[in-house]
Amino acid sequence: MGNRSTFGSVYFAIFGFMVLALGIVELVVVSTGGMEGASWGPLEMGGMLLWWRAIILVFAGLIYLSSVNNFLDVRQLGKSVIASIMIWIVAGMEIWARIAGSIPGGPEEGTPWFNPEFLATYGPPYMPEIYLLPLSLVILYFVGRRKKQGRLS
Amino acid sequence: MGQANVGKSAFFNRLTGAKVAESNYPGTTVDFTKGHMLFQGEYVDLIDVPGTFSLQPKDKAEEVAVKMLGEEKEALVICIIDASKVERGLYLALEIIEKGYPVIIALNMWDMAKSVNVKVDTEKLEQILGVPVVPTVATRGEGFKELVSRMGQAAPVTIEEIIRSVGNSSRTHH
Amino acid sequence: MWEIAVELTIDQRWDLVDRIAKETIEVGAYEPTLRDTLADVTVKPLTGIPFAIAVIYGFWMFFSGFAGFFTDGFFVKIFDVHFLPWIQSVFPGKGTWLYFIFVGDPSAETCFESFGVLTSGLFLPIGVVLPAIVAFYLVFAFLEDVGYLPRLAVLVDGVLHKIGLHGYAIIPTILSLGCNVPGVTACRPLESRKQRFMMITLLGVFIPCAAQIGMMEGLIPHLIGWVFLTLAIGYFAVGFILNKVWPGESPEILMDVPPYQKPTWRNIGRKMGTRTSHFLMEAVPFFLLGCLIVAVMYLTGAMDWLGNALAPALTGVFGVPEETVAPLVAGFLRKDLAIGLLGGIELTTWQMFTSVVLLCIYFPCLATFALMLKEEKWKEFLATMLVLVVTVFVFGGLLNLIGIGLGIA
Repeated sequence: MGNRSTFGSVYFAIFGFMVLALGIVELVVVSTGGMEGASWGPLEMGGMLLWWRAIILVFAGLIYLSSVNNFLDVRQLGKSVIASIMIWIVAGMEIWARIAGSIPGGPEEGTPWFNPEFLATYGPPYMPEIYLLPLSLVILYFVGRRKKQGRLS
Repeated sequence: MGQANVGKSAFFNRLTGAKVAESNYPGTTVDFTKGHMLFQGEYVDLIDVPGTFSLQPKDKAEEVAVKMLGEEKEALVICIIDASKVERGLYLALEIIEKGYPVIIALNMWDMAKSVNVKVDTEKLEQILGVPVVPTVATRGEGFKELVSRMGQAAPVTIEEIIRSVGNSSRTHH
Repeated sequence: MWEIAVELTIDQRWDLVDRIAKETIEVGAYEPTLRDTLADVTVKPLTGIPFAIAVIYGFWMFFSGFAGFFTDGFFVKIFDVHFLPWIQSVFPGKGTWLYFIFVGDPSAETCFESFGVLTSGLFLPIGVVLPAIVAFYLVFAFLEDVGYLPRLAVLVDGVLHKIGLHGYAIIPTILSLGCNVPGVTACRPLESRKQRFMMITLLGVFIPCAAQIGMMEGLIPHLIGWVFLTLAIGYFAVGFILNKVWPGESPEILMDVPPYQKPTWRNIGRKMGTRTSHFLMEAVPFFLLGCLIVAVMYLTGAMDWLGNALAPALTGVFGVPEETVAPLVAGFLRKDLAIGLLGGIELTTWQMFTSVVLLCIYFPCLATFALMLKEEKWKEFLATMLVLVVTVFVFGGLLNLIGIGLGIA
């Protein structure tokens, strides 16, 4: 069984760079633009905890890149798995915050209990982590494949 | 009784239906808890104690466990051992056996031991020690029926018998 | 005391263990699994610290989202828009002392401001603190069950070493973020008296519980980061000093890091249930009692008297108005209630920040206080209290000076 996967290495090398680049952009935004953030079309960066997200993305990107060599080795795979989990946490919590924020109708008197237009709040712009989430799910394929091989051997 | 983080509280909750906090780190239980369990048709007391490495306590929580053992002289001791680290738990088990308590040994986290490829020959262990040995997975409740049904077989053994049977089995082995 | 058949020496016993083990245990060839690697990379600083940052971020986001959903989304509306005007108009005898105690200020527009037993006394525990507690324990029980918490302990081991505590100390600390009571009991596995004393003191003084955090989240979400930073600085500074000053040993604590496991939902659910019902049964009466005491003290003039008496300290040293005496009194019962009551007082941002920090440290809640008495020897207990008083004055004074220096006090 080879420990090499050209597809895995190349994919996560590119993906790692993407994550790192977006993290650096977030860092730049937070240190120049402050809390207001910035947005380009369907992409936005901002909010109270942008600092945290920027740092997490930068690290996740670095961890991905360090896992690319000999990608299928279990120690290396472990790294890309935790980098992916880091992205899932951030993206998952953003989705959670959006859902939790969309349902109540508003605090003022006379507003309905539930927001009738809650679906509208799910539209773009999104923060970069949301875009990275589906791309990072590829790691599950490698984890699954490893499990299958483990059972067979 | 058993060492830290081998699943004593999970055991206790399984056996008594109580709600003692179980966590996946050492030192969750720092005091003893009493509960009841059904054993051979009647309710008996079961006591959950903090983990201890040996019967020479080195902190307050361990003291509780050792003191409790000293007070309950009639007790049957369920000695819980992490199946992937048997040696450590055996030491405590031997100490308790030496004190003359009837003991039943549960090799807990059996699934974990299997996944790290540690195999324990329970039959042989039983032969050597002369006390019942049951593999269990406390969080899922595996092995508990056997454990409870065999608790009656727990009887005090002397350490000489164990020393003798180790000698015997080594000889037959070679 | 025991009937001793044969006593083996320690070496003999280990020897016997070895011989038995040789006969019965077979350790097979073992290839590390993905689970092992994950266990490994999450404790190595280079990968573990970034991961820990992500976990803490996730913890906080879940917590604030959950609490925000229930508190700001629904409870504020239920209580302020519907319940408060209703009870203000329905309760008989406007202007009497009974009305003042139960409903509070008749012109109040929010349940933060009214101070009544049935208004603030119900809104604060149920509307603000309950969602926070549920959210906290949900994540906490999950991390606990998976086995992540001890890894956090290993990661911070290096820092805690500097103040004479070892990685295990993070477990009481994190437990205390839920509630100080289990945090203090979790200090028992610490081996030396010194470590136990230091830990209990640091927990009692600097660690806010989930209820307090929930209240802060409801009241001053934008300042929370600063409050935490201030408390963390205090935790390490006082820890550092105590380690130098207090006699005794700080022996190494060896802790096994358990393997990761799949979370058992039954266990998580059970923990949540116990904690939540515990809160409802024990905290809500204290909230009601606290509001009652505060209201009675206002009515009898005791509060004004106390406010005047403490004014030199409050305004002079800490730079906060003397009205904060009411939360201070309530804080002896429940500190979350105390922070909640700050919501009804007019304060500048800096005063709010100082008051919250002071409320966090000035007294452990009644339950923790009672437990400290039980867990510590008299000398240690008095020392803990001394540390507390000194810390309050040093911290409060420093914060006030910083505020004046920055021109924002």
